Amino acid sequence: MIEVSNIKKVFQLGQQKVEALKGINLKVEKEDFVSIMGPSGSGKTTLMNIIGCLDTPTSGNYHLNNQLVSELDDDALARIRNQEIGFVFQSFHLLAKNSALDNVLLPTKYAGTNIDEATKRAKHVLDQVGLTDRMNHGPSELSGGQQQRVAIARALVNQPSILFADEPTGNLDSKTGDDVMNLFKELNRQGQTIILITHEEDVARQSKRIINIKDGLIESDLKI
Amino acid sequence: MLIKESLKSASTSIRSNIVRSFLTTLAIIIGTAAVIAVIGLGSSANKALDAQIDDFGPRTLVVSPGQNRRGAVTKGFIPLDIKDAEALAKNKEHNWMVSPYISRNRQVKFNNANINQRIRGNLPIHFKVRGYDIEYGRIFSEEENFGRKRVVVLGSAVPKELKTSPQNILDKEVLIAGTGYKVIGVLEEEGNTGWQSPDEELYVPLLTGAQRLFGTKNVDSINVGVEKNANVDEIMMSIERILRAQHDIGPGADNDFNINDYSQFSDLRRQATGIFTALIAGIAGISLVVGGIGVMNIMLVSVTERTREIGLRKALGATHKAIMSQFIVEAILLCVIGGCIGVVLGTSILYLLASLQDWPFAMPFSAIIGSITFSAMVGLFFGIWPARKAAKLDPAISLRYE
Ligand SMILES: Nc1ncnc2c1ncn2[C@@H]1O[C@H](COP(=O)(O)OP(=O)(O)O)[C@@H](O)[C@H]1O
Ligand SMILES: [Mg+2]
Repeated sequence: MIEVSNIKKVFQLGQQKVEALKGINLKVEKEDFVSIMGPSGSGKTTLMNIIGCLDTPTSGNYHLNNQLVSELDDDALARIRNQEIGFVFQSFHLLAKNSALDNVLLPTKYAGTNIDEATKRAKHVLDQVGLTDRMNHGPSELSGGQQQRVAIARALVNQPSILFADEPTGNLDSKTGDDVMNLFKELNRQGQTIILITHEEDVARQSKRIINIKDGLIESDLKI
Repeated sequence: MLIKESLKSASTSIRSNIVRSFLTTLAIIIGTAAVIAVIGLGSSANKALDAQIDDFGPRTLVVSPGQNRRGAVTKGFIPLDIKDAEALAKNKEHNWMVSPYISRNRQVKFNNANINQRIRGNLPIHFKVRGYDIEYGRIFSEEENFGRKRVVVLGSAVPKELKTSPQNILDKEVLIAGTGYKVIGVLEEEGNTGWQSPDEELYVPLLTGAQRLFGTKNVDSINVGVEKNANVDEIMMSIERILRAQHDIGPGADNDFNINDYSQFSDLRRQATGIFTALIAGIAGISLVVGGIGVMNIMLVSVTERTREIGLRKALGATHKAIMSQFIVEAILLCVIGGCIGVVLGTSILYLLASLQDWPFAMPFSAIIGSITFSAMVGLFFGIWPARKAAKLDPAISLRYE
């Protein structure tokens, strides 16, 4: 479903050029659970942004569900991010003044989903992440692990084909980090395609496939 | 759906920065309040003017003495006298009320009180022309006028100035210039009309005044009361014809009298009030626009502060349009809230001023709707730039923003 061929990304920093990706080739099939590993600055987030349609490559081709992404306009990209992709970030990125339920509902607002249907789905995904009893609390009333689970529920509410998680356990202690990883494994067992970015070996080992990136190039790609 | 989400996020954002939001809208509040108060003031003043004109009774033309010039030589004022008034009254072409008067200041005494007051000699019809009503006793009659009777009707404030009450002074004698006059009536309070203070005057029959008090047959002016829908131009021409004949003015020579239509002044005053109102409201409107610049400034700050939020919303599928609408709605909401507070404030100011000035309170509904709409438009206009700045943010970079 994801097919990336010879993707390069160059950032212009004043006079200086930073080559973040130097030619990435990658295929990800449905229901896979991929970890992307690599040291800080190796280009992991840049790669995720490109396959998550948040950014465009400087060169190379990217097909998502057999569609050439570079041909799409801004509105079509927004639609893909809304319908096909769910993001989970290291720093949760919840709206501070909104309740857990409202945070989860946000993607349905941009989809134009009818509010009853949207609320039903939001409650279902909050139940999946085990937060039914906390859905009316704001982020400041939730622990870090709970906040990340709200963010996961938000990523799932529009039933995306791929879930991206950029160092989702990076801000959590190892116990709550394990909880989050167990949640991902369970979601994958139910058929959710997941791409996980991490630089922790034992987190990566819980997935089905580990890709190592170094200096903008894939170093190794191993099935577990 | 999108608008609802925009409204929700806008009100959340405004509420979470309540002090800043208030300070931002202050200029909008003051601007709207000023516009509303000025427009209200204008229409209150016009309403007061209308009430005044209605008080004035029927429409009145005023004939006053003028200059007679033959060539370059000015012969000074040619007086109008009682005969001129009689000539006008005799004419039955028009249904008009001719009311000449003479007025001078004279010494008035009652018991120990001694005041210098304006005495007006006029016909009984004067009270009708001016719309003055009697409160105690009666007004004098035609017979009393012809008989040069020593009777007097007092303006409503006069008894108090003579240190007594209407009830006590009625049917008593007051001394005017040393001669006794019987008080036969006291008028209702009429209020000052700018150029006249009817409450302060004493009214005697015209012929009594002419012969006993003033020693002249020359009148100050002749009021001609006409019906409201009368043809004023035609009436003015009739007055002119009669008085020219009366004064033996040959063809081609100038009039030696003036005819004024006071309702013309009212129209002028109304026009002037209208222009003045528009001018001040326009200036106040500028402060609304200045307020809009303040809103734009704060919205730009807000966009920068919320870069990560904008990045997140885009990652979750917000389109260019969705982000635009979120920030424009926020700018409009800020301005409309400011506008509503301004309307309440401006209306209160007007209410206060109107009650202090004893004006009727008039606030046109269209001014309220108009100024709120205008502040919404200010919000729309000054919200566009910040909203575009927000919508154009690159999501990948915004999410990295610290
Ligand atoms: N918007 C940007 N502008 C300039 N340089 C960038 C930008 N985004 C990333 N980079 C650079 O690209 C390289 C890869 O960054 P990133 O993908 O964030 O790495 P990782 O996620 O593996 O830590 C880094 O050297 C980083 O400084
Ligand atoms: Mg990164």
